[in-house]
Amino acid sequence: MFKLKSRSLSLILMLMMVVILSACASSDTTSNSGASATDTAPSSESNSSSETDASSEFSGTLKVQLIGSFSLDDKTDPVTGVTSKGVHVLKEEFEKRYPGVTVEFVLMGWDNYNEKTQTMLQSNAADVYQLPGIATFAEQGLLEPLQPFIEEDSFDLDVYLNGQIDGWRAMGPEDEQPEIYGLPFIGDARVLVYDKKLFDDWGVEYLSEEPTMEEILEKAKKMTGTNPETGEQNYGITFKGSDAADSVMNINESLGGQWGTGFLWKDMQVEFDTPTMIQAAEMMVEANQYAPEGTLVNQGSEDFFTEDNNVAINLRVPPGFINSLETFGTQDRYQATLLFENTDKGMGGMFAGSPFAIGESSTNHELAWEWLKFSSSDFFQKYMWEERRTESMPVIKAAKDWESVKAIPQMDVILKQMGQLWAPRYPYRAGQPRYILSENIELILLGEITPEEGLTSAQEEAEKWLSSQQ
Amino acid sequence: MLQTKQKPRAKPVVGWKLAPRRESHAIWYVFLLPTIVGILLFTLYPLIESLRLSFTRGVGEQYVGFQNYANVLLSDTFWYAVYNTFYITFFQLLLAIPFGFLIACLINSLRRTSNFFKILFYIPNTTSMVAAATVFLAILHPDGPLNYVVELLGFERVVWLSQPLSAKWGAIILSVWHWLGFVIIVTLANLQAIPGEYYEAASMDGASRIQQWIWITIPNMVGSLTILFVLGWIGGLQRFSDAYMLGGLQGSPARSLHTVVGFIFERGFGGSEYGIASAAAYILFIFILIFTFLSTKLLRMKI
Repeated sequence: MFKLKSRSLSLILMLMMVVILSACASSDTTSNSGASATDTAPSSESNSSSETDASSEFSGTLKVQLIGSFSLDDKTDPVTGVTSKGVHVLKEEFEKRYPGVTVEFVLMGWDNYNEKTQTMLQSNAADVYQLPGIATFAEQGLLEPLQPFIEEDSFDLDVYLNGQIDGWRAMGPEDEQPEIYGLPFIGDARVLVYDKKLFDDWGVEYLSEEPTMEEILEKAKKMTGTNPETGEQNYGITFKGSDAADSVMNINESLGGQWGTGFLWKDMQVEFDTPTMIQAAEMMVEANQYAPEGTLVNQGSEDFFTEDNNVAINLRVPPGFINSLETFGTQDRYQATLLFENTDKGMGGMFAGSPFAIGESSTNHELAWEWLKFSSSDFFQKYMWEERRTESMPVIKAAKDWESVKAIPQMDVILKQMGQLWAPRYPYRAGQPRYILSENIELILLGEITPEEGLTSAQEEAEKWLSSQQ
Repeated sequence: MLQTKQKPRAKPVVGWKLAPRRESHAIWYVFLLPTIVGILLFTLYPLIESLRLSFTRGVGEQYVGFQNYANVLLSDTFWYAVYNTFYITFFQLLLAIPFGFLIACLINSLRRTSNFFKILFYIPNTTSMVAAATVFLAILHPDGPLNYVVELLGFERVVWLSQPLSAKWGAIILSVWHWLGFVIIVTLANLQAIPGEYYEAASMDGASRIQQWIWITIPNMVGSLTILFVLGWIGGLQRFSDAYMLGGLQGSPARSLHTVVGFIFERGFGGSEYGIASAAAYILFIFILIFTFLSTKLLRMKI
């Protein structure tokens, strides 16, 4: 009798194991197989559409993934003491606009967001995704192309600041040119910020509205040394060391160069060793001479934005600096200007921010599209501006007329910079060419190799890697 | 008479013993089931999947045979990462094991305050490496406390994280500080397990404290020091958090803090090259396997 029990128990355990493993295997097969995902999507979509047509209204649950410091409930900043409203505001407004719809948020931090997003997209964990790394996911066929939705709704893309749509263009597996897979909802850019007090102390004229790198270097050189007023050691310039390669590329473009051509690895040609790139790298080497010793590893300019600052010019500053100025009460001391503009083309700076995209695996494409449109509304953008200012700038033209925007003098430059960024995003930054260029620029700044040697090496290594991707 | 009574009892006793033993085994498997399923799903399956991915390339997972392994082994960046990993780990062990052993000996000789020092030295090891590295970013700052001490000693200050060599030494200082407590606790446990009779006998024979330390303490510590050496190498080869926190994704400056796991992370998650990353992970696994095998053989250690 016992033998029977033991066998039965073993059989039950084996069956349980098989069921568990087969369940995992089947879901895995579905999620891993691009073909099966594509095959099932239209039926799901048509179901959703037919429901929509039948009821002429939206219903169901919409899952929206957000990355960063978002929270559902209100929370108070421990530094400033300011309480900001949670994303429940967006949920309530959307549910009011679309009765019968429930919005659920999947909130996560920036740590490993690409890997988490990849898993979520494959397992249909949300309908709408915040996707700063959009190209990687579009390439895998995991995103819904938005052009049909835009055309069907006659959605006016002109509401966005210049370049904001083009910046997020990406290529799906079947595309022959970059297409729209995401709509921007978080704006970002890098601007140049300088300390007017240090300029006054040294008797140097403020930076012009569109300074060239030559002007920046000339003035930075004058302000490196002992401050004639305070007697303290001053530095002319600082930059984010980990972004040094991006700075070189931005300077290169302001000098008339370009990063290269192509979008997918198989078509891509990089131009890392051109004369303008070498000139740009030489300028960064000179800038490094006027910077604090730890600049290459982002040290030495921690007091920038405070009253104790000893650095005159900061080359790459994200727009959130307006919050720092507010915290330290130094709004009148610091001024922003445009970064590395190519005056012929009226463009400058690397594209940044976050778009919303619709997961191909989502069964609720129509409702997800409604959320994307909602994100371009004044309500949504004002919420982001007023409550999430630490990580967001408005992406719509209407923001220029908001009183709260006009009240901040630096915002004029920030919005202008955001409207002239190079687009689409540099595609070479999605893989090894980015790291190859960075490594060689660091070696150049360390003085271990010359700009010519470093950029020739970067070009060769990048070409070798690109050829391995054919 | 006695035998006839014993024989009939023998069968039920055997049967009675067998039945519950089998039953209890089956029950234990039920209790083990969640763990077994967990291991199958979250350890064995990823291992097999990673092995499969190591033979593929790109989003379409195109089969490329051993091409990824060849690419990794021919990559200068990979070998520089191997060099960095070995360099930092070698000096970490070279400093932490002898220092930890000496401090453990001193603590062991204390009569009253030994617990205080045990806790004091072990606290860093309880801190997460990410938190410790964040603190060390301030300690290694050009105007930080370490440079204050360096200047007090009459040396020129060092911009620790700005130069490749000093950045590596910054990581070594951090890892020694973090690992020292573990070395102390392990060696202290071994020290306290050495029978006091050895020392009594030696002192009766006229051996000095130093002689006792050299001829009794050290030979009895070989086992602990060996296991620390092997564990240290395995942990060192898997080094990531400290180097990543100090040098970022690329191990800046100029990849001087780029480790083997950093290489895997950059290629896998920084560029979605899962095939290359998986191949590098298996190469690292083989490194650890060979290194552990050699260590145990050379040190005649039984595991």
